[in-house]
Amino acid sequence: MDSKTGDLSNNLEQQRSRTLSVPVRNFSTRLLLRLSKMSIFKKAHKSPADIVKSLKSVLHVLFEQQTSGRKMDKAFEDLMKNLASMKSIMCGTDQHEPQSELVAQLSQELYKSEIIDIILKNLSRIDFEGKKDFTQIFNTLARRQIGSRQPTVEFLCKKKNILDILVEGYNDPDIALNCGIMLRECIRYESLAKIVFESENFFKFFEYVEMSTFDIASDAFATFKDLLTRHKVSCSEFLIKNYDRVFPAYTRLLESENYVTRRQSLKLLGELLLDRHNYTIMTRYISKPENLKIMMNNLRDQSRNIQFEAFHVFKVFVANPNKTKPILDILLKNQQKLVDFLSNFHNDRSDDEQFNEEKAYLIKQIKELRG
Amino acid sequence: MASTTTAAREEIPSWPVNKDDYELQEVIGHGATAVVQAAYCKPRKEVCAIKRISLESTNQDELLKEVQAMSQCNHPNLVYFYKAFVVKTEVWLIMKLLGRGSVLDIIKHKVAKDQHKLGVLEEAVIATILRECLKGLEYLHRNGQIHRDIKAGNILLGDDGTVMLADLGVSSFIAVGGNMARDRTRHTFVGTPCWMAPEVMEQAVSGYDTKADIWSFGITAIELATGKAPYHQYPPMKVLLLTLQNEPPNLDTGVSNKNTTKKYSKQFRKMIETCLQRDPDKRPSAAQLLKDPFFKKAKSKEYLVDHLLTNAPTFKDRAKTPKRVVGSSGRLHKNDEGDWEWSDDEYKESGGRDEKKNKEIKISIPIPAAQPANESTEVTKNGKIQTSVSKTPSLTDTDSSTTPVSPTSPTHPSFFHPPTELTPTPTKVKRSGSDVNANGKKAERTSSAPVAANTPQPAPTETLPVNLVLRLRNDQQELNDIKFAFTPNQDTPDGIAQEMVSAGLVSGMDKVIVAAKLSKLVSSDIKPPVVTFPLHQGSLSTNQVPDEKTLFGFAQLSIVDSHK
Repeated sequence: MDSKTGDLSNNLEQQRSRTLSVPVRNFSTRLLLRLSKMSIFKKAHKSPADIVKSLKSVLHVLFEQQTSGRKMDKAFEDLMKNLASMKSIMCGTDQHEPQSELVAQLSQELYKSEIIDIILKNLSRIDFEGKKDFTQIFNTLARRQIGSRQPTVEFLCKKKNILDILVEGYNDPDIALNCGIMLRECIRYESLAKIVFESENFFKFFEYVEMSTFDIASDAFATFKDLLTRHKVSCSEFLIKNYDRVFPAYTRLLESENYVTRRQSLKLLGELLLDRHNYTIMTRYISKPENLKIMMNNLRDQSRNIQFEAFHVFKVFVANPNKTKPILDILLKNQQKLVDFLSNFHNDRSDDEQFNEEKAYLIKQIKELRG
Repeated sequence: MASTTTAAREEIPSWPVNKDDYELQEVIGHGATAVVQAAYCKPRKEVCAIKRISLESTNQDELLKEVQAMSQCNHPNLVYFYKAFVVKTEVWLIMKLLGRGSVLDIIKHKVAKDQHKLGVLEEAVIATILRECLKGLEYLHRNGQIHRDIKAGNILLGDDGTVMLADLGVSSFIAVGGNMARDRTRHTFVGTPCWMAPEVMEQAVSGYDTKADIWSFGITAIELATGKAPYHQYPPMKVLLLTLQNEPPNLDTGVSNKNTTKKYSKQFRKMIETCLQRDPDKRPSAAQLLKDPFFKKAKSKEYLVDHLLTNAPTFKDRAKTPKRVVGSSGRLHKNDEGDWEWSDDEYKESGGRDEKKNKEIKISIPIPAAQPANESTEVTKNGKIQTSVSKTPSLTDTDSSTTPVSPTSPTHPSFFHPPTELTPTPTKVKRSGSDVNANGKKAERTSSAPVAANTPQPAPTETLPVNLVLRLRNDQQELNDIKFAFTPNQDTPDGIAQEMVSAGLVSGMDKVIVAAKLSKLVSSDIKPPVVTFPLHQGSLSTNQVPDEKTLFGFAQLSIVDSHK
């Protein structure tokens, strides 16, 4: 070890023993060497504990004291710097992979502080790049895995209010997309998705997906879709338990004035009904004549895309070997009309073999229906 | 500081999300699925551009990606939008008005006026434009995004000399909140062939990264000087071949008259050469390229105004106002003469959705009690899909608790199997895909599992079962043979398909197509009795190309033996 590196190691050691309760001497020399080498290149010289400490005081100045003017500007500047340092530790930089040791330290510091809550609650006051940095830090943190443990998921399970803040974020256009990105990361984990299901939060999405701003409504829909499709078993349980509340709300989406909402919700409905985990829900859904009626109307919508999505739901009603009487009655009443209609339905999709086969099959099935 | 910005924001109302707050003006640009129009925002008393994207002809997922990519960018050299909202079947993106269109428009204008024989743009202008683009690109790359479609047509100019990189439509994140050093490659085929980097064309297993943009940037530099990308005269496939086989192009590639490029400096040529290196690792990053000596020639915005824009057309010169007031209803499109026109074919019939709702298709719903519940004559039998492990338990008695099906047939045995009651282990035959071909013989019982459905249960009718095999790949892409019997007059294709879906053997998305094929096969005399058919998109893992022979993305249904 040459003297220069040695000095640095000592510096580092001093610095760290000041801020950490864990005695640094437990680290092997090789690790110290690695850490010290890294700190030569790294922009972030501060240790995770230092960053968190500094962040705490900055956040206090910003969001709890009524300061203004220069002091405020300085605090915002410091906040950005600290976020940038955290990001380079958590996510690495172009030149460096993240160092697991530092990531672990920073994560621990974040778990035991209130920093995540405070920043999330004040996210709209942070500037554009700062929000992005925080979003990236949060998502990397959320993905942490130690063996089979997911410490951040455990942390978030205990602090359910963080998920509440994220869901609520859709109401504020300045932070909606950032919150959406973080929320989707969270609900990749079943335990966190369940928390959203079990709270009132899930039902807020029926409003979010219809918001007037396209980007926010679409982002909310992406989250909504993830919630309903990612964890098949939990989702199916939730839908069965809440069928009477979910499907009337869903029907409103299918009848929305907003083209995007209608098209997306039709497509998602098709996917949901055709998923074998949702067998019970499918059976229940396709037994109701009102639902068939909605699909038949959508089949005749002005928009070809809506018609096409509706076809993929409509086929589930027809290809059901156990049609309920009301369904069978509607199909019989409209037997000839449906055959004629389907015979001319999207005939130009000649290259879509699956669609054409399905259509021919539906026509055959409907023709053969007997009362 | 924060308080002053909020105060300023309160004076001017934020960009409205109501189409009536905008007065649409000239069409200033158009693409395959979008039109860009100048507009005046009444509440703000401000001009803007509106990109109107037709949703009927757009992949919504792609559009959402574009919008999300843009909303993650905040840089003076990248196009962004203030607001986005839905108007009938369009999305309107409210953007800054860049009145001079794209650099390609200016190039075309110069060529039309015959001002290009000695090089289209002068070097200082090129350096200025390219440096601004590079700044935007550097930001994009720092964000973990690849643009993927850098070309003159995507560089926009404002009246004040602002340069902005547009069309983040194909740009995509290589790392959203991930590890920047590791997850930086992509595997998708997007871009415009002439500008496309070799590794993008090759779809290298390793993927490609931000360096692909640097290649396109080099090609764009050539375009600004000569007016065309090298190989512009060839069809796309030929361009791919030439790019992959030839030495990287330079300023003189494909230029017929050497006078066109004579005036350009060594530094410019050198800069192009560093960008167009075959090995992506050797190309500079955007940040490094900004330090290239060539960009010392770059000048200010004002320089562009004086030396480029003074004799270039404004959008008002180029634009043609569409024949009808826009936004009322209908669809904007270009007619055969190249003029903008409105069509109302979508709405003519009913005048919009609101009215349409009142004209719903008539559905008569008879009173349920009026008819006896005799709609089904099928008698079903369980265990249609043979599994190697266990027989499917009988479903005739207890399943009604879990399946609230048809209230009209409470005593009828349900054909539907609740998913939990079926053993999800199919008769698995793991083989390499190579020996699969389309002949009826191959479905022979090489499987170690018991041959399916050869124990005919006493059938109520005299019809004998047909034994079939459905061969397809499972989620792990392993080939599976699903052997089952189909008894005419007893089984229904729907029922069999539903069982397969319930057992997790077939994706729900493919239920109807399987039923359709089954129905066809058992009711006709196809020889050999085999059908191969495509499955829904998404049955494949990413990057897997559907192939009929090896049954990636396809399934094959065949009759093993029939008692016909």
